Amino acid sequence: MDPTIKDFESASAELEAIVKKMEEGDLTLEQALELYERGVQLSRFCHSKLEEAERRLEILNERGELRPAHAAMGLTPSDESGKSR
Amino acid sequence: MPGLFDEPFEEEPVFREDGAPVRARRRVVSVSEVTAGIRMAIESGFGELWIEGEISNCRVWNTGHVYFTLKDSAAQLKAVMFRSASRYLKFKIEDGIHVVARGRLSVYEPKGEYQLVCEHLEPHGRGALQLAFEQLKRKLQAEGLFAADRKRPIPSLPNKIGIVTSLDGAALRDILKVLSRRHPNAHIVVRPCKVQGDGAGDEIARALKALAKVPGVDVIIVGRGGGSIEDLWAFNEEPLARTIAACPVPVISAVGHEVDVTIADFVADLRAPTPSAAAEMVVTAKEEFAARIDRLQGRLTAAMRAGIQRRRNVVHLLTSRRGLAGWQVRVAMQGRHVSELSHALRRATTGLIARRLREHQHRAARLEAGDVRRRLAAMRGRLGAADSRLHVIAGRVHERAEARFTALAGRLETLSPLAVLARGYAVCWNQDRTAIIRQASAVTAGDRVRVTLHEGEIDCEVRSAHGSDNQGL
Repeated sequence: MDPTIKDFESASAELEAIVKKMEEGDLTLEQALELYERGVQLSRFCHSKLEEAERRLEILNERGELRPAHAAMGLTPSDESGKSR
Repeated sequence: MPGLFDEPFEEEPVFREDGAPVRARRRVVSVSEVTAGIRMAIESGFGELWIEGEISNCRVWNTGHVYFTLKDSAAQLKAVMFRSASRYLKFKIEDGIHVVARGRLSVYEPKGEYQLVCEHLEPHGRGALQLAFEQLKRKLQAEGLFAADRKRPIPSLPNKIGIVTSLDGAALRDILKVLSRRHPNAHIVVRPCKVQGDGAGDEIARALKALAKVPGVDVIIVGRGGGSIEDLWAFNEEPLARTIAACPVPVISAVGHEVDVTIADFVADLRAPTPSAAAEMVVTAKEEFAARIDRLQGRLTAAMRAGIQRRRNVVHLLTSRRGLAGWQVRVAMQGRHVSELSHALRRATTGLIARRLREHQHRAARLEAGDVRRRLAAMRGRLGAADSRLHVIAGRVHERAEARFTALAGRLETLSPLAVLARGYAVCWNQDRTAIIRQASAVTAGDRVRVTLHEGEIDCEVRSAHGSDNQGL
C-alpha cells in the first residue's frame, strides 16, 4: 500500500482536509486534480482497511500465550456464528 | 490472691484486740501494681463493647496501626486499631467519620492511659463499601484521574479488541453476540480472569496489563455482568483504578447494569452502561468511521465536479462574448489566412524574382556589351537580398499567427477541465510539468515545453515566443 499513508486515522484526517480545501475552491486546475487524485487514494485506503480484518477470537492465557478461542473455551457454535457469515 | 483493695488504707485506724488504737502499718504498692490492677478491673469490668462516635485525631503509624480518638459532644475515648484488624477495612479511617466501633477497653500501662482496642469499625448509617467508594472517588478525583482531558478516544477501527472478564459470565456472551452481529470481521482477544471475590481486583488489573501488551490490541473492554455491590466490588478497588488510568490502550468499562457505577467507570476512557453497550460503542465507532469516509468521498467528488463545472461556465462565458464569439472559426480562418498569405508571398517572391530575371535577361540581351556581367552580378545580389527579406517577413507573419493560435488555445485549455482534451485540445506545461504555460512570454526561444494531449504527451522546443499581442484576436 501507499507508503505515504500511515494509518486510517491520519488518512481520514488528510482526506477531510483535502475535501475542505477543494470545497473552498480557489484552486488552479492542476492543484484541484492533484488533490482529487490524492483524495481518491486516501478514500480507497480507508475502505480497504474497513474490509481488511478477519473475524478471529483468541484467548490470552495466564502464561501469556494466545490460543484460538473455540479450543480454549467451550463456546457453542452460535457464539462463533460470525465466522460463517 | 487478695485484691489490692482488701488491704486497709493508710489513714484507716487499726484497733488492737484490747481496743487501743495503734498506728497502722503502711502498705506501699508500686505504680505498676496499681496500673495492672486498674487494667484488670477495666478489662474484666466491661468486656466487648460496641461504641458509637466520631473519629478525630486520626494517625496511621508506619507499622500500620491506626490511632484515633472517638468522641461525642461530651466525652472522648482514645482508641487504637492494630494493623491485624485495620487491614480488613475496605474504607480508610479518617477524621470526621461517624462510626460504630467494636472492641475492648484496655490500659496502656507505659502511659497510664486507658483506650479502646478496636477490632472492627463500620460507618454509622451507611455501608462500609459505600463509604470506601466515596473516599476513593474523592481521592482519585482530587488527583485528576477522572478529568475529561485524560479520556482518550476509542479507535474508529480497532485492530484487535481486547476483553477482560470471566469466561463463564454473561458479559462475555453479550459482548460476543453484539460483535458477531454487527462487526463480523472483528479480531477479538479475551483475557479471562475472576471478576469477584478476594483478590479479583488485582487479578483484573493483571489481566488488563497483560492484554495491553498484546500487539495490535488498541481498545480493551473490562467488565462483568450485574450483581450486588459486593459482587462488583473488585471494580471499586484502588489498584485496579490506577491500572486502568495507566493503561497504554483506551479502556471501556462495562460493569453490571446501567445503575451500577464503579470507580472503574470514572477512570476509564469510556463508560458503557452494560457489556453489550460496550460492544455497541466499539461497533458504532467503526460504522461512524465508514459513514464519514463515504461522506468525505462524496464531498470530494462533488467539489471536483463543481470545480470543473465552474471552469466550463467560464469557458462558455468567454466564448459567448461578442469579441470571442466564433473564436474557433476565427482562429481557423486566421490560420488559413496565414498559410494563404505566406503561400501568396512565396508565389509573389518567386514571381518577382522571375520577372526581375526576365527583365534582367532582357536588358542583358540588350546590353550585351560592357560591364553587363558585373552589373548583372550586382543586381542578382540585390534581388537575392530582397528575396530573403521577403521570406523572413512571410515567415514572421506565419509564426506570429501560429503563436497566437497556440496561446489562445493554451489559455482556453487552462480554463477547461481535462475532459476537453478528449475533444482534441492540448495543455502546454513547462518542462518539469509543474505549471501550465499561460503566456507566450513565459517561455523564450529554446525552452522545452510539454504538451499534454488526450492521449500522451509531446516534448517540444520553443522556436520563438510572441506573447504581447495575443489579445487582439
